[in-house]
Amino acid sequence: MSYVEVAQVRSAVHRLHRRLGSARVSGIFWLGLGILALFGGLALAAPWIAPHDPRAFVGPPLAPPSPGHPLGTNDVGQDILSELIFGARISLGVGLLAGGLAVALATLVGAVAGYRGGTVDAVLMRWVDAMLVLPRLPLMIVVAAYVGTGLPVVILLIALLGWPAPARVIRAQALAIRRRAHIQSARLFGAGLGYIVRRHLVPELSPLIVAIFVGQAGRAVMLEAGLAFLGLGDPTAKSWGLMIRYALDSGGFFFTHRWVWWLLPPGLGLTLLLLGFALLGMGLEPWTHPLTRRHG
Amino acid sequence: MVRRRSGPGWAFPARAPWAPRLALYLLTLWGMLTLNFLLPRAMPGDPLLALMDPESDAYLADPGIRERILQYYGLDRPLWEQYLVYLGRLARGELGWSIALNTSVAGLLAEHLPWTLLLMVPSILLATLISVWAGAHAGWRRDTRVDRALLVAFLLLDTVPIFLLGILLLMVFGVYLGRFPLSGGQTPFASYASPWAQLADILRHLALPMATLTLGLAGRNFLLARNSMVTVLGMEFMQVARGKGLPEPTLKYRHGLRNAVLPLVTRFAMQMGAALTGMILIETLFAYPGMGRLMFTAVAARDYPVLEGGFLVAGVAVLLANALADLSYAWLDPRTREAPCPT
Repeated sequence: MSYVEVAQVRSAVHRLHRRLGSARVSGIFWLGLGILALFGGLALAAPWIAPHDPRAFVGPPLAPPSPGHPLGTNDVGQDILSELIFGARISLGVGLLAGGLAVALATLVGAVAGYRGGTVDAVLMRWVDAMLVLPRLPLMIVVAAYVGTGLPVVILLIALLGWPAPARVIRAQALAIRRRAHIQSARLFGAGLGYIVRRHLVPELSPLIVAIFVGQAGRAVMLEAGLAFLGLGDPTAKSWGLMIRYALDSGGFFFTHRWVWWLLPPGLGLTLLLLGFALLGMGLEPWTHPLTRRHG
Repeated sequence: MVRRRSGPGWAFPARAPWAPRLALYLLTLWGMLTLNFLLPRAMPGDPLLALMDPESDAYLADPGIRERILQYYGLDRPLWEQYLVYLGRLARGELGWSIALNTSVAGLLAEHLPWTLLLMVPSILLATLISVWAGAHAGWRRDTRVDRALLVAFLLLDTVPIFLLGILLLMVFGVYLGRFPLSGGQTPFASYASPWAQLADILRHLALPMATLTLGLAGRNFLLARNSMVTVLGMEFMQVARGKGLPEPTLKYRHGLRNAVLPLVTRFAMQMGAALTGMILIETLFAYPGMGRLMFTAVAARDYPVLEGGFLVAGVAVLLANALADLSYAWLDPRTREAPCPT
């Protein structure tokens, strides 16, 4: 990194700190962050924590919980606890990637539309409006049925249908920032669109972008689980949603207690993960709000 | 500066004038139709194309038969001609032929749509009532214990994946308590003593799916309703009303809630998409004979015409919900009736 880059990063970090410090950072924020950190740690350390290889057939099928298999085994004799731990990687990974992609697209479109204004803004926003009324899950089902359900496809689909709503929020904010004096003067000094978006808009929008990322990541986790529940998950990468689908598909499900150790753990994992995203999002709200109120 | 009422989920600027809004709806509809037309032609995995592909197992070796099939489906003609034919067929209400069930898609949709409406309409209404009432109450008693309890309860409802909520209700009330049937829309092959008995049977089957959808949607809407109420309560006219010494119920409902509901109308119409998502998952779980279930079985059978028809109906439903929200907005807020006014 060159000196200039270091200085840029440092000033961005400083700005983030100042904003974070100026707002009341609530317990909700830390609770949400803690939950996410827990799952993040679980996902990262999966190979060392999981008692078995989640794909290996390590026991008799449909065994109830035992010391060797704390959550029993599934219908083909795979260890459910190991599946659960590795599943955190898929669910969380899809959430972060799809959420990140969606927020990047939203920032790009929103910042350009808000900053440029005029025809560019009108065209982009009409496009966003049209995207917003597309029924998301039915469209995803149709596309996934044609293209297949590999993990990259699922991530791309979620991101491509997720960006329009936040793009509107970012545009509104960019519109407000555009009028401020230092941006005006940067423009007078001959700064181009790319420069201003990169050096001014994105850093100033950063609290909003972070909050939107958290919201989008949570949405992505939820959508992936929904798709997997419908049987449109990647069968080679078993997420929590797909575990639930497989558990439901195993025959005679309703007449045994199996669901307690097979279906409930991934279900609760999903719920807790989504709760983490929701709490973190709520905790970030006062952090994004003062900005909105001052310049909105 | 005109402050835009935008936020995640605001579809259309709430107070835009009529004509551009209508144009936008039509444009969106056209976009959906075109997408529906292009998807099968641009995507791999089409069963018909497999018949033409020398690499595939289903390849038709006889060039004469290949030719005739192409001709029959109009695939030998240029793309724009196919497009016109497609639009013409749609205009006549022809949505194609189900590959797996060998009936017309339009007929299938007509058969399943009433069940979906039976599930969705009451759920949406009930969820709206619950969330607005609870949200108004929580907003009114902001930062009290009641508020916190409601917040936690509805936050949990919002974060539990809706199919998990359904599974829990199914397990408790269907399996362990045995109060409600596990699946379906009515008892198969049942003969009823009276229409009332049939109605009771249908309602018993409806109870669990509807409870699931209602709770899930209420969880989504509660926070919006609460925040809207909190915003309204902070406004000056509320202080004036309070200063006049109006009784508490009047303050809370006539002055507070009535104004807090306005921005929610558009917001809730936007939740139509979420309601559809929930509906598909719930119908799949409860094997409820509606559109969602139809789409789920069509996925398994790779029954593309049914999927495309389902997507189209869902899209039109969302558009209608938006148009309805626009209309009700004008009805609820007299200020928007005459001219679009900047806020």
